[in-house]
Amino acid sequence: MFSRLARFFYRTAAWRLALQTTLVFAAASASVFLAMYFIVARTVRERSDSWLTGESETLRQVALSTPRDALYSRIVEEVAELATQEFSWDGGTANTGGNTVFFAQIGNTSEPPLWVGPQNSGAFLGLLRTLNIPQHQAVSLRVAGFAEPFRVVAVDVAPGAGHIYLGLLDRGAEHLLRQLLVRFFLGWLFMVAFGFLLTLFGLRRLLNRVDDITGAAASIRTDDLGTRVPIGTQHDEIARLARTFNSMLDRISASVNQLRTLTDSVAHDLKSPITSVRGSLEIALSLEDREQSQDLIASAIENLDRLSEVVTTSLDLAEADGGALRLRRESLDLSDLVHRVAELYAPAIADAQQHLTVSAPEPVPIVADLSLCTRLLSNLMENELRYAGPGAHISVVVTSRASTGSVAVEDDGPGFPMDLLPRVLQRFVKGSNSQGHGLGLAFVSAVAHAHAGVATASNRATGGARILVEFPLSDSPRVTGDDGLADNLLTSS
Amino acid sequence: MRLLVVEDDNTIRDFLTRALAESGFGVDACAQGCEAERLALEGVHDALVVDLNLPDGDGLDLIQRLRSQGVSSPVLILSARRSVDERVLGLERGGDDYMTKPFAVAELQARLRSLLRRSTPGQSETTRLRVADLEIDLIRREARRAGIELQLTQQEFALLEYLCRNAGRVVTRAMVLDHVWKMRIDTSTNIVDVHIHRLRNKVDRESQRPLIRTIRGVGYLLRE
Repeated sequence: MFSRLARFFYRTAAWRLALQTTLVFAAASASVFLAMYFIVARTVRERSDSWLTGESETLRQVALSTPRDALYSRIVEEVAELATQEFSWDGGTANTGGNTVFFAQIGNTSEPPLWVGPQNSGAFLGLLRTLNIPQHQAVSLRVAGFAEPFRVVAVDVAPGAGHIYLGLLDRGAEHLLRQLLVRFFLGWLFMVAFGFLLTLFGLRRLLNRVDDITGAAASIRTDDLGTRVPIGTQHDEIARLARTFNSMLDRISASVNQLRTLTDSVAHDLKSPITSVRGSLEIALSLEDREQSQDLIASAIENLDRLSEVVTTSLDLAEADGGALRLRRESLDLSDLVHRVAELYAPAIADAQQHLTVSAPEPVPIVADLSLCTRLLSNLMENELRYAGPGAHISVVVTSRASTGSVAVEDDGPGFPMDLLPRVLQRFVKGSNSQGHGLGLAFVSAVAHAHAGVATASNRATGGARILVEFPLSDSPRVTGDDGLADNLLTSS
Repeated sequence: MRLLVVEDDNTIRDFLTRALAESGFGVDACAQGCEAERLALEGVHDALVVDLNLPDGDGLDLIQRLRSQGVSSPVLILSARRSVDERVLGLERGGDDYMTKPFAVAELQARLRSLLRRSTPGQSETTRLRVADLEIDLIRREARRAGIELQLTQQEFALLEYLCRNAGRVVTRAMVLDHVWKMRIDTSTNIVDVHIHRLRNKVDRESQRPLIRTIRGVGYLLRE
């Protein structure tokens, strides 16, 4: 039992948090209670003190005007009697025998002091004589034989005519205050204990939900990413944690699936050319005819080049997906770049009986990675070359609007197959008659994203494919950005 | 010309040694950075080919050590790392050129020749190129075949000039794209072939002796 409890305390942060909270609460509530207690105590004391002061003043007047005779003694006794009744706080238990008030008049002459009060007057008178009690100020006086102290007020009858002492045994007030203290303490103890248990329980319930998330996380394996954390109906931090955790699992699961697709596709895309390269080279080895064997070797090299292209682009895409594609940004003119790439492709496009028109009349300044943007545009052109079909009209339009510079490449060819259209910019998505690897447009999209731009693919209403790539415009004017390639050919005088 | 090849992969080291020896270089080869350092400090090599991934440390560190010890021969870096940052870092740390694997042997040879040319100063810049009966005037930007002026576009002229400068040597498609169009792109389409085809139509059509040849699987060759 004890060890179970110890383990519970060891394994949860709830009790520690509850303890901390409770300690703070206990300290705060104790100080509030104590403050209240002292305010009440002062009020009670002030009330009896002001009575004492008032009565002692009255008695002084009486003492001044009345000779010390029997009448005077009666008046004093009356006062004591009244006080005893007035200050019996709880209906008589404190009022034991009317001995709660004393009166003493001590003169400077040799006449005996006047005493009204408890029997053992000697002890009182001795004390009063030795203590120099200041006028009109209540002080506490402890007398042997009484559990509680007396409140005593002293008055001079007249200068040099002795002192009057009026004392009140504060039994009622003391009792009241003691009871108040006990009740306050019990109430405080209960509140603290209740608060501690409530906090412990609440925190434990809250932390149990964290335990659920821990359990779910522990049960996740790479081959089974199906587990999800229960979210519940709340909208608090832990519900948010659970939701975030679940969406993280969704993303991990998506990337694992993507990785699987990628592995499958790479396996397929790499294995076929490797097989054909191997085959070509084997045959070339066994052939006597030099021309034929060279032909085979050449085709093997071409296949290897294609393989190398797939590997390079796959790695670039993987880097882009991982956010690790490092850009060397420089200022460049999108229009100029489009013209240059179009010039490179124009003869090949013409040979394929396609018609290319480029409209890029204005400089469109962007800050981008020249090498990646060149490859992006070349991918777009190759896409047209491969899939727009003979006779297609290809138009490349560069525009800038507000803060966006865009390249739109359109054709009037067959367009994207409808079932592929939503996924055509994803990796390894390709048409059934495509000889590519489904990487070109994925690369376009990845490069656009890396530049905080976007690529969209659509089919035109009039037929044909349209790819729009948008880049954020740079604010700065164009800076010529040759990337420092060895250039010893185009230098003219 | 004597070269030092530092490459830890046996297959690649052997084929590099063979290919470079066949193109007329004297080749020393080693697999370790420390051995490379010892050999390079002999000071007999005209150029170094250094792989970045060495068993006993980074090739970049090796290059930096050699440079600090006064080895001034040009260094061609070989690497499987493709990023532009790596390329720039390699050049900053003392490399003179940077090639990523896989590469064509023709391109490696061309780059080495270019490095060696750069390191032997004093060659005057030519203003005319001549191969057989093909003449190129680099200043007037005119080309003649058998005395007849060829009507070339700017691009065609640049392409022909590049081929002539490398006359007798194979240039790959990637080299053509890089040097003539200033673009580093991989392409499996025939864009460069189409340009070459058009150029060949203008240069070789009237002649009995074609100069521009296609070496299948590798690239192009302009030769008598």
